[in-house]
Amino acid sequence: MDDYLIGVLSNIGIISFIALSAYVLLLTGEISFGQQAFFAIGAYASGIATALWHWPLAAGLAWGAAAAAAAAALVGVPTLRLHGLYFAIATLAFAEMVRLLFELFHYQVLIDGELVGPNGAEGFRNIRYIFDNNIDATEFLVLVYVLLSATLLGFFLLERSRLGVIFRMTGEDEVLAELSGVAVGRYKVLAAGIAGTLAGIGGGLYAHLTTYVEPRIFDVMLGVHSLAYGLIGGLGTALGPLAGVLIDIGVLESTRWFAGYRMIVFGGLVAVLLIVRPRGLLDEVVVRNIRKAWRRTSPLRLGPHEKQGQP
Amino acid sequence: MLEISDLVTAYGKIEALKGVSLQIAGGRITCLLGPNGAGKTTLMMTIAGILQPRRGSIRLDGAELVGLSPARIVAQGVALVPENRLVFPQMSVRENLLAGAYQRGDKAGISADIERMYQRFPRLAERREQLAGTLSGGEQQMLAVARALMSRPRLLLMDEPSLGLAPLVVAEVFRIVADLDRDGTTIFLVEQNAHMALQVARHFYLMEQGRVTFDGTPGELAEDEVIQRAYLGTRRATA
Amino acid sequence: MTDFVQNTLDGLMIGSSYGLLALGFTLIFGVMRRLNLSYGPSIMVGAYLGTFVYVQFGASPIAVAALAVAGAVLAGIYVERLCFAPMGPGAGIASMVSSFAIWMQLEQAAILVLPRHTYPYPPLAAVAPLMLGPFMVRLDHLIMLVAAIALSTGMHLLLYRTRFGLALRAIIGNPVAAHLVGVNVRTAMLGAFALASGIGGIAGYLVLAADQQVTSMFGMWATIKGLIAMMIGGLGSIPGAVLGGLVLGIIEMHGQWYFGSQVRDLIAYFLLFACLVLRPGGLLGDAPTRETAAYGRRA
Repeated sequence: MDDYLIGVLSNIGIISFIALSAYVLLLTGEISFGQQAFFAIGAYASGIATALWHWPLAAGLAWGAAAAAAAAALVGVPTLRLHGLYFAIATLAFAEMVRLLFELFHYQVLIDGELVGPNGAEGFRNIRYIFDNNIDATEFLVLVYVLLSATLLGFFLLERSRLGVIFRMTGEDEVLAELSGVAVGRYKVLAAGIAGTLAGIGGGLYAHLTTYVEPRIFDVMLGVHSLAYGLIGGLGTALGPLAGVLIDIGVLESTRWFAGYRMIVFGGLVAVLLIVRPRGLLDEVVVRNIRKAWRRTSPLRLGPHEKQGQP
Repeated sequence: MLEISDLVTAYGKIEALKGVSLQIAGGRITCLLGPNGAGKTTLMMTIAGILQPRRGSIRLDGAELVGLSPARIVAQGVALVPENRLVFPQMSVRENLLAGAYQRGDKAGISADIERMYQRFPRLAERREQLAGTLSGGEQQMLAVARALMSRPRLLLMDEPSLGLAPLVVAEVFRIVADLDRDGTTIFLVEQNAHMALQVARHFYLMEQGRVTFDGTPGELAEDEVIQRAYLGTRRATA
Repeated sequence: MTDFVQNTLDGLMIGSSYGLLALGFTLIFGVMRRLNLSYGPSIMVGAYLGTFVYVQFGASPIAVAALAVAGAVLAGIYVERLCFAPMGPGAGIASMVSSFAIWMQLEQAAILVLPRHTYPYPPLAAVAPLMLGPFMVRLDHLIMLVAAIALSTGMHLLLYRTRFGLALRAIIGNPVAAHLVGVNVRTAMLGAFALASGIGGIAGYLVLAADQQVTSMFGMWATIKGLIAMMIGGLGSIPGAVLGGLVLGIIEMHGQWYFGSQVRDLIAYFLLFACLVLRPGGLLGDAPTRETAAYGRRA
């Protein structure tokens, strides 16, 4: 596989994390323009851990994810009473605050005669862990997809679990969920934490792949993009956001003759698509039909529902 | 005056109206009874053009209304007093009445009509500059009726005007309805309160689960035992 | 003390253009109950059109202004037709995402035509600043303030003295009832969009003429400023939009004076966040009810 393809695939994998992060919140019925904040926190925290504190990669990534999760849960609490548009704009405001704080954040340590660490608006260079430890591009790609697969497995289990039902119930009608005995507040904070974790993992992977991050990267554009992937690809399944990422990065990035006109074409296509399919490509209806067709044609009986004698 | 044929309106896969046919004759009150969820409001919204039917036709004196925008249907002379009144909360009583006359251009005529409304609805006159959102339920109902009348409609549709109102207020509302009837206004009334409706309406339809299940005079309605028990609540010794 | 008053004065003036941006935003939101993320970018299209004729043909400030507004209105109509008009009642999210997609489209189109990071804009008033006692007032800033007052007044007259204004207020009050009294809601919404874009175009022109340059970040900047001012003042409130703009302008000026421009922006966002958490209805708006909060909820 040539380097360019590896690069594109790694990118797709990493951006999928932040797309899935926005997706978790969409399941509970909330729109977030701010997941890029937790992507940033994951990037910086894990970068600091490996480059400044000399932690191993796994520990660094875990630390990045944990920091992001904690921040997300912390922000989830004051915004609990907010809904819809108000919540969305609050997340945007928060994410921009985080970005601006990183522009003011200086934490540098002298290593081998060089100053290493976040340097405000100039960014954070030399997150060189994978180079210093001879991890080549293919190995890193595998790491990204192993983590992504584990995440998708998690979503697969979530969809079939009580927690998943609770999330979707909250998303459909929060008042009804509360009346049915669901402690909505706690679950929303939980969802925020999970979303933060995912974004944090993605951020950590991103920082180590590119070896350099700066606050400017984690802007509103990234946030709205990650939201858009789910809304375009469809919210019926975790594969929906991935489909959105694949379409954007995969098809358009690698077709170079689109280069200067990429957003003009993509933007127009998305607008037209949304007129025809306002709930995205793989929306709940499509997914349900696919599942029904799968159950009918497959000799395997999956899931407990089949045991109820439904032909 | 209004002829509805085989009307089907659906929300996604759910058909709320399953082929409704009825006629509203001019110059009198026709009442549509039925339980919650029967599709009565869906029918009203479809006539008003807010909802588009899948199939069927609605003809007003021969002119087809299906496919027209709500604004065009108002221009044809149809006005709906909607369920839940739907007044403009931040506008005063007077401004709500002005809004009702939106399509009219004759300023003098509009002013005269507003005065007439104040005479017909004294409580509105007292509160003419008050914000509609702060009116009581009964006052809002009056306002909704007056607003609809401002367009000088040929056909007045009323969707559950007694909903949520105290008995005294309901009586007042129906007094107004009877007045309008005396003035010759054609009214198509949707109601759950069959008792009050029996006092004013000259023809009845019953709708259940999206279908018309009764079509007849008040006398026939009062005689039908099933309807008696279900909607009029009278207990009769089985003869 | 002099500094304080000077900063407040400057803040009022720059805030007046924030107020105009917020005015357009809030008009669209009040009427359509949807958030238009292409608002800033469509103003930028007009702004770029203006700078184009300035750079290519040396056009006069009036011509530049006229084209900036016309461009903004045309771009606004494009956005309305593509992202908002075709969407059914439940598709608020889809409209918003669609407007984001078109934001990207418009930005890239603008950058393709005018690729440099910054372009010059003709100054509005090439005279020395006026001195009112110890305070300095730039003429172009003063024009901004006057324009904001004029436009807000005009907007008020439009809403309360014209038939179109009655239609808009009806839609803002209750969209279904607006249909029922015979308002042609689709046409009125298109009109509101065009009006909002026009106001935004004027606001944009005034800011750029005072700055004497336009950069490629302008679209995003206008959207963010308008959004913050709108939320502070109260979503859907027209006087709130103006007030929110003024408050934002004043706080920014003071923030910049004492702490520099990065902290200035930080303060603006913090103000917005705090406002949303503590008083989501903003200064003059109503507290969100379940219905209003549902605008934007995936449902």
